[in-house]
Amino acid sequence: MAAGDFYFAIDATFRHIHATYGKEALVQYWQAMAREYHRPLAERFRRGGLEEVRAYWAEYFAAEPGGDVEVRGGEKEVELVVRACPAIGWLRAAGRDIVPCYCEHCRHVSGTLAAAAGMTFALTGGDGACRQVFRLQGDTA
Amino acid sequence: MIGVQDFVGYYAWTFEYLRRKYGEEAVRDYWHRAISLDSQRHARALIMARGFEGMAAYWGHTLAMEEAGYTFQRGAEYFRIDMFACPSQGYLDRHGLAFYHDYCEHCMGWIKPLMDDAGFVVHHEHNHRGQCYWEMQPATEASATPPPDRGPQDVRNLPPEVWAQARRHRYVAGRRVATATP
Repeated sequence: MAAGDFYFAIDATFRHIHATYGKEALVQYWQAMAREYHRPLAERFRRGGLEEVRAYWAEYFAAEPGGDVEVRGGEKEVELVVRACPAIGWLRAAGRDIVPCYCEHCRHVSGTLAAAAGMTFALTGGDGACRQVFRLQGDTA
Repeated sequence: MIGVQDFVGYYAWTFEYLRRKYGEEAVRDYWHRAISLDSQRHARALIMARGFEGMAAYWGHTLAMEEAGYTFQRGAEYFRIDMFACPSQGYLDRHGLAFYHDYCEHCMGWIKPLMDDAGFVVHHEHNHRGQCYWEMQPATEASATPPPDRGPQDVRNLPPEVWAQARRHRYVAGRRVATATP
């Protein structure tokens, strides 16, 4: 099991970049992380398609501490049903102030990652519960 | 989602991103303000309130969570950690991740400001290969020289092919001093 207290550093990092350099700089940071750090993952998704996306997220959320996330795979899309986000849950349980734009990192990191893999990404909800969908580019629901 | 299981990887990447975009001083500022003052406020509260007991409580919890290889020693005038297998450096090595030129410096980057504020000085040395020691002493009683040999648990007593396998950075009473490079 991963060390959940690292969520404190993730939250603090977002707050620091936002406070020091501004919102646009934070968005650029998330997008750069997806382009650079996650480049190998984007290549995995591009090669393996939606089944690779499903398998990755199922394994990923299983290894995070806490949370309640269902990963649904289909021919046209992979859907992440986040009933209880592990990050938001951990931060709230510890009484931490959560930077208001915390949830936006999923939109920018996964959105950029999906685009690099030839996919689209959509997110609805937030604040601890959301729905995230990966689709192949050109496919519509 | 950015999770905690691969946190160390993009934490190290973040150091390099900040250095490249804003400069080296921005990395130091990040370790101080974001990590020491914000992220690690729980460590700060424990250590400022309870001193050595707070250090034992904090690192006992966090190093167990990270499944580190380490020992603690507690003397009348010091608290000491000897790290034999740093979990963060181990993660980076296992995954072939090397973004920032000196990942190990981040610990001093957040721990030293905390100890300054809590009234302790830090004696520290790391070898960039997963071994290091930390010895905290009250500022009023701190030695101006590196700590004496602390026995078989002291990482400095590891075989030279382990402890001296790479360049080391040494801090004495919180100040960086020169070390020999293999």
